[in-house]
Amino acid sequence: MHIKDHPVLGPQLQDPVTIYFNDQPYMAYKQQTVAAALIANGVKKFGLSRKLVQSRGLFCSRGRCCSCYMTVNGEDHVRTCMIRVEEGMEIYPNLEDPEVRGDGHGD
Amino acid sequence: MVMETDVLIIGAGPAGLAAAYETASRGLDVTIVDESISKGGQLCQQTQILRTLPSPFLAMRGYELANTLINQLDEFSVRYLLGHRMIGTYKDGSIGITDETNVFPVNPKKIIVATGAAEKAVPFPKWTLPGVITVGAAQTLVNRDFVTPGKNAVIIGSSDFAMDVAIQLSDVGVNIIGIVESLPKILARDAEKTEHIMQRSIPLYLRSSIKEARGNGEVEEIDIQFPDRIMTEKVDLVCVDGGRTPILDAFYQLGCSFGFQEELGGWLPQYNEFLQTDCKDVFLAGNAAGISSQGALLITGRIPGVRVCEELNIISKQEAEHERASHWKELENLEAKLFPEKWEARLNHIKNYANPLLKDQFIS
Repeated sequence: MHIKDHPVLGPQLQDPVTIYFNDQPYMAYKQQTVAAALIANGVKKFGLSRKLVQSRGLFCSRGRCCSCYMTVNGEDHVRTCMIRVEEGMEIYPNLEDPEVRGDGHGD
Repeated sequence: MVMETDVLIIGAGPAGLAAAYETASRGLDVTIVDESISKGGQLCQQTQILRTLPSPFLAMRGYELANTLINQLDEFSVRYLLGHRMIGTYKDGSIGITDETNVFPVNPKKIIVATGAAEKAVPFPKWTLPGVITVGAAQTLVNRDFVTPGKNAVIIGSSDFAMDVAIQLSDVGVNIIGIVESLPKILARDAEKTEHIMQRSIPLYLRSSIKEARGNGEVEEIDIQFPDRIMTEKVDLVCVDGGRTPILDAFYQLGCSFGFQEELGGWLPQYNEFLQTDCKDVFLAGNAAGISSQGALLITGRIPGVRVCEELNIISKQEAEHERASHWKELENLEAKLFPEKWEARLNHIKNYANPLLKDQFIS
């Protein structure tokens, strides 16, 4: 859930934006990170581990653990706890390793 | 195009900002790199009141301290590279900085590494399920992102920080099912925090641990193991406090030596009384120099700042010695009283400066 009136910091969420996760629209607020905005909407599972195919989600929220990797606006392996939401952002879960060797990626 | 600067500081948290003030306020040109998009590091989401701060600071909330440290740099020559990371060094010794698209060299006269600490995980079967997060992550969601991370939570660990986060989660309506501590006593040193927990009727489970978490795609249930029984609870949030350890990546890249001090968070760069590593011109500050209290961290930013000014002939040897003595006195006052074992470990670590445990290798 979004915290509309924070007990210490007061009402902080002013500018709503719409983001898309798996093509579904969700409401978020400008200062939120992508990972946090999805958690506010009840989405916790962000991807699968590469070897044992186990569910993964936010863990450290500091950009250290890389457990919150997702594909954001076409870019793979984005640490979603470290970037803020933008209007119309398209987010997909990280279900497998991205293709890094190829024409578009300077092999 | 090489960017030249007097002092390059890695990390815009409290220690980095304190080091920046020491150097920039005396006229040096300072560049601060931080991978985050904001300044202040982990202080920004600390809403609890910090009571033991060095002069001239009075007790204030963590985010207020962050703003104070940021604002006091306004009038000086400080360049911020936010959303940037140090990713290595060039052959000529200059530092490779990336904005995540391009890499460029920065050539500083001195480097102060203030990369802070990372939280450690607490392993138990299925600890990787979504919904199991660090206590720091829970606090970040509540106070930075304004998001409640769950409805029914269990907290693993009873440190002062875990207590702060339990209280803050409770204040935004998260039902805290219990605080689970493996030891026979509460670890928090501030009795007032335990009182707040009691007032909220949050159960404290001593001599207990998590046996297992379960859930389909995210955490739904946990088993709490007591000496004589197992209790199963429905939860959608588990916050783990595994303590913190210094972040060392930049020190590997720079080729520093390391020592080990359990009380300061484990492996940490070897340093002397100037908070100077065994690499020429590389200093360190804050939690990277050993996990300590918020007040102590600020002083560990001031000490290398003073030395850098001395080495760059901005202040005289006498002035530097005077400043240094007063900073070490204050550090002792703040650290030795509250965390005597940390103070001891710090002195031991400095004694080992000439004989580091690890040289020229990674810690695996």
